[in-house]
Amino acid sequence: MRNRIIAISAAAFAASFGLALPAQAAQDDAQLSVLHGVPDLTVDVWVNGQRTLDDFTPGSLAGPLELPAGSYSVAVTASDAASADDAVIGPVDLKLAANGNYTAVAHLDAGGKPTATLYTNDMSAIPAGKGKLTVRHTAAAPAVDILAGGTPVIQNLTNPDGKTLTLDPGTVPASVAAAGTTKAVLGPADVPVAEGSNTIVYAWGSLDDNNLAVAVQTIKGLQSDPNAVPGGRSGAAADDDSTAAIAGGAGAALLLAAAGGWVLRRRTVAARNR
Amino acid sequence: MEHDQSTRSAGIRRRALLGTLVTVLALPGLSGCAAGASPVATGSAAPADTSVSSPPAAAAPVPSVPVHDAAMLPKAPKPPAPPRFLTVEGTTIAVDVVSVGVRADHAMQIPDSFGQAGWYRFGAAPGAAHGTAVIAAHVDTLTDLAPFSQLRHLRHGAAIKVQRRGAPPVVYRVADVALQPKDRFDGRKLFRRDGPHQLRLITCGGKWLDDRQDYSDNVVVTALPE
Repeated sequence: MRNRIIAISAAAFAASFGLALPAQAAQDDAQLSVLHGVPDLTVDVWVNGQRTLDDFTPGSLAGPLELPAGSYSVAVTASDAASADDAVIGPVDLKLAANGNYTAVAHLDAGGKPTATLYTNDMSAIPAGKGKLTVRHTAAAPAVDILAGGTPVIQNLTNPDGKTLTLDPGTVPASVAAAGTTKAVLGPADVPVAEGSNTIVYAWGSLDDNNLAVAVQTIKGLQSDPNAVPGGRSGAAADDDSTAAIAGGAGAALLLAAAGGWVLRRRTVAARNR
Repeated sequence: MEHDQSTRSAGIRRRALLGTLVTVLALPGLSGCAAGASPVATGSAAPADTSVSSPPAAAAPVPSVPVHDAAMLPKAPKPPAPPRFLTVEGTTIAVDVVSVGVRADHAMQIPDSFGQAGWYRFGAAPGAAHGTAVIAAHVDTLTDLAPFSQLRHLRHGAAIKVQRRGAPPVVYRVADVALQPKDRFDGRKLFRRDGPHQLRLITCGGKWLDDRQDYSDNVVVTALPE
């Protein structure tokens, strides 16, 4: 029971990583999310020998945690194990670089054996007006194609690879099929792709056990802004020297400004028609 | 950070029983970054041995590490009420507002019609809680001036009224009118997504540069909610 109390204490979670309270987070900390993608197995996650996530259930996503750059030893055990010694996954060393953004996924390999993969999330800016969709194959299943509205958009994706598409914002009716086929083994599901965000979809579970599922992680704030506001077409509103001369110098120009758009419009057009 | 894991672990567990508030207070002493726990932390942690049966301090505001069910696909966020009509006090500006995005060259789309302005639909909407709502229009037509040519002469405090689809109008007051050189265009600032809400009306101005077939500047009106 005492371990559950640790789990509900967020501060203890952070403390077990060292000194990673958000209030103390350094500017160049790495960010780590943890996804549980092993079916039917409630686990504890141990970091550097300490129980960090207790009774972590399949399909759950924890984090992101802000952590100082460094190497972290992560092990996954059955829930309420006495120590990290009897791990079902790991221990694995996760090397987190400064400013990196990572997702550690406990999942099945293609053959159905529990494993863990550390994905590095691309935090580069997305072109203005676009969003990204990333698909990661973390399921006990052979190579798959990802279909959007029945058409393959990602082909021959194998565990544990991922692939990213840059798309117009919207909703993608996505499904997963065995590579080279169009019969969905998972989905279709409406996956939102928002401007400036990366929607990361994990296919997890086991094809043989008929428990394939999706998990979704969204990374926001990757947008680019327009690079110009092209609000002119002809120069009819130009504030150039000839306009000032016609208006009779600086004093008149001020007067012109005070008089508002209508006068400016007549003067400017006159200047251009001269 | 590596040393004395077992001691620290035991300490965390004991303190965790006290509830999250005490845990937070105790952390500076646990993290090994100081010569010892501060007096406050020591005092707070002291009752640990006698309070094992106490319920956790449920209401303590602590930084939380979110754990959520990722198996649910997120719903697309409900779109905000889009702006539909814009008027500016003391001018003849009375234009329809349409939703726009970006062109292939990453410039903001601007409606061609004389009587229309474009709202950048990926940024904040007028009436939003945070961020900048940007509405832009041409300053001229092929032969004449367009309504937004009046922007650069707006007075501080002039009222800008934005009518919206499916929501009441919102009114802003002009706080700043600036000419900003296109050479130093700062999209991140102009289109800021977070921070206090504001409205920006943008058009072109300054000199006409024949070699570029473009104006030298943007006219940027910044207005704050009334």
